[in-house]
Amino acid sequence: MSRKMILRVPKFQEPKRMEKSEAQRLWLLLKDAIVEVQHMNASTLSFEELYRSSYSLVIAKRGDILYTGLEEVNNHHTKNLLDKIAQAVDERFLIELNSQWQQYKLQQIMIHDILMYLDRMYVKEPQLKVFDLGMFKWKQNVLIHSQINDRLVRMLLGLIHMERNGEVIDGALMKSLIQMYVDVSLKEKETYKQEFEERFLLATSHFYKSESNLFITNNSCGAYLKKVEIRLIEEEARIKQYLDESTGPKLIKACEDELIANHMQTMIEMETGCRTMIQNDRFNELKLMYRLFQRVENGLVHLKNEFAGYVRNEGHKIVNQPENLKDPNALITSLIEIRNRFEKTLSQSFANNRDFINSVNTAFESFLNENDKLSESLALFIDKKLRGGFKDSNDQEIDVIMNKVILLFRFLSDKDVFKKFYEHYLAKRLLSGRSFSEDLERTMISKFKQECGNQFTSKMEGMFTDMRLSKDALDGFKNYLQTSVEMGKLPKIDMSVRVLTQGFWPTFPPHSCTLPPLLSQYCDLFTKYYCHAHTGRRIIWQTNIGTAEVTFRLPKKTHVLALSTYQMLIMLLFNDAEKLSLKQMAAGTSISFMDIQRSVKPLYSGKYKVLKRTPAVEKSKELSENDIFELNLNLKCKLHRIKFAATSQTDSEPERQHTRQRVDEDRKIEIDAAIVRIMKSRKALIHNDLIVECTKQLSSRFVPQTSMIKKRIENLIEREYLERFPDDRRRYRYLA
Amino acid sequence: KNLFINENQEENYFDFEIICQQTQKKKPFSFKTHKSILSSRSQYFKSLFNSKMKEYQENKLVLQDFSTSIIALILKYLYSGKIEINLGNAIEILIFSSKYLIEELIEISSKFIKN
Repeated sequence: MSRKMILRVPKFQEPKRMEKSEAQRLWLLLKDAIVEVQHMNASTLSFEELYRSSYSLVIAKRGDILYTGLEEVNNHHTKNLLDKIAQAVDERFLIELNSQWQQYKLQQIMIHDILMYLDRMYVKEPQLKVFDLGMFKWKQNVLIHSQINDRLVRMLLGLIHMERNGEVIDGALMKSLIQMYVDVSLKEKETYKQEFEERFLLATSHFYKSESNLFITNNSCGAYLKKVEIRLIEEEARIKQYLDESTGPKLIKACEDELIANHMQTMIEMETGCRTMIQNDRFNELKLMYRLFQRVENGLVHLKNEFAGYVRNEGHKIVNQPENLKDPNALITSLIEIRNRFEKTLSQSFANNRDFINSVNTAFESFLNENDKLSESLALFIDKKLRGGFKDSNDQEIDVIMNKVILLFRFLSDKDVFKKFYEHYLAKRLLSGRSFSEDLERTMISKFKQECGNQFTSKMEGMFTDMRLSKDALDGFKNYLQTSVEMGKLPKIDMSVRVLTQGFWPTFPPHSCTLPPLLSQYCDLFTKYYCHAHTGRRIIWQTNIGTAEVTFRLPKKTHVLALSTYQMLIMLLFNDAEKLSLKQMAAGTSISFMDIQRSVKPLYSGKYKVLKRTPAVEKSKELSENDIFELNLNLKCKLHRIKFAATSQTDSEPERQHTRQRVDEDRKIEIDAAIVRIMKSRKALIHNDLIVECTKQLSSRFVPQTSMIKKRIENLIEREYLERFPDDRRRYRYLA
Repeated sequence: KNLFINENQEENYFDFEIICQQTQKKKPFSFKTHKSILSSRSQYFKSLFNSKMKEYQENKLVLQDFSTSIIALILKYLYSGKIEINLGNAIEILIFSSKYLIEELIEISSKFIKN
């Protein structure tokens, strides 16, 4: 059985229509209370009674009496306050205004609390909420009144000016008064912005404009930068202390404009400015400058351009210095030094900014390729290091140097030229046994490999393989000789041969000479042995790069001379003759006159003279073919073994040109290959596009000249790889 | 009738009294309560205390318009978040919560009445 329940309606709840007089009574009760509140006498009032009165008026639809009444009371009150505040003089004005404002705000909160029911249930847009109404009345009748507003703003700005000049002001008072502008703003802080912020920002710009102009003309750039930094910190603090936070970005922008943006050019150009700082490695000042310039638009672009310009200029000086042009070692050492220096600037001052690094790299690229010296100089630099220059360095130092070499190498646009020179000097090191350490050689090569891939280093690695295989071949040859029949008939000499695979090694210019019969027989034996072991191979003797040791018997003493093969041949001639002219030497050995000259020179003009010129001629530099030489039997030397340089360490001009020529030959092949590769995939292409594509493909190795590509295209057309379109001569077609 | 007290009066730390006095004839009923709870649960009480008016000075509030049982229910609600609503008290709860702007209770009671 379910019990039915009925909704119980309490009997007293039907609101009676309120008499006008009753409404009036309630309003007067509230009005008296509000006035008491405004006089700070609230403690004897009953909150519940006032709340109930406001509630009763609203539910009896008499809210209008209450709302308009409130407006009037506030109006009246604020007008009274205006007179009181305006009468205060000097500093009293701010204090009086502030204390009245603080009280007023509290009163409005209280009034809002009492009239909470009115606020929630009666007030509708566009009417102001109870509290906002109070704020609005204050704004209308006090704050923006002509007797207050201008006076207040002027005093506030005056105090801020004083503070900027180092005086102490009442921050709490400032905060309260400035916050007042925000509090009375109905939406988006409009009163604050219009009445205060705008004038404040203007005053700020004005202040810093004149301060910065004065300061920068009387101080160094470094001092100015420090001043700016301090000013910015002060303004940041000011925002926190008494400004509305929405002013922050605007204030800082205004300061940055006046303090930094407007003086950027000056800071770069002035005597103590950016240029001097870079020149003198003033890392801290530059760091500060970087930090400050970073804050303004395009600031870093200025700084970056200035720095990159300086780098380019310094690099340009180094690569064109006459001493450096003569001495590759000095050139590369100086380049590594400035690279280190600028890397330090980049990391210590410019936060290793990507843009800065890139523009420094671009600068390096441009001056390193200013002349074609660099490829060879770099190869020579490494050559010297690998011939023993690394002797006194530890692994870490060596690695650092190698990495710097790679870094410079990376900037070279003609990497193929460098490669040729590197191979050339590597070959010389290996063949003359002058390489300091095979490990280091291989480390260096592996770095190139990492940088440019297998293709770049395959020949170099081939050279090492040859060296190893040669050793095996030589051991085999020695065993062969012991068992050979012919061996019994021949006097014993110690011959060492290296078998170089053609293609891996630089091609040395062909030279011919006549070997003494004994040596010649040994060579034939080796050829026989080797070709038997490796069928299908052909041996070409390169006598011009060999070395030999001969015994030099003097009346009282015996020396061993370490000579080049050519020098050996020349010295052997003196077994059968006392005096020989250069012409006779050439005839007796079949060596070219130029090589005779070069070979003889160290023998008579070095520290130990095994030959002498007869008659003795002083300081006659050029040798003629009729000059006559004889053995110097009076040679005085404590050493048993005397070593003679075969040729100078650096290459002679013809050799260098030979290397360059070979680079050009290789380039032709590379360009041909690139053109064919491109045309094969694209089938048909316009001339210019082909040039562009070709240059792009080859750029990692070298920068081909357009004229050269054109020639290669012509050549490929002749060889029927390509043809021109009959109707459009600028287009090519690939012929499969 | 007082719902939220410990056995030991000393340990309750009451600091505010709510007195229900519907008419002069009836004997007033007093609820012992805590300001901190009331002010954290209701904007009305928060404002009442902040105003520092008579009620704050005397630590007591006199309510005239509602019965003891309704006030007890509402106080229980403010303390516990729970309300025992039924056909007998729903309208009075709605009126109370409307007057004192207790949003959640307005919703609960008007929903109950509609159903």
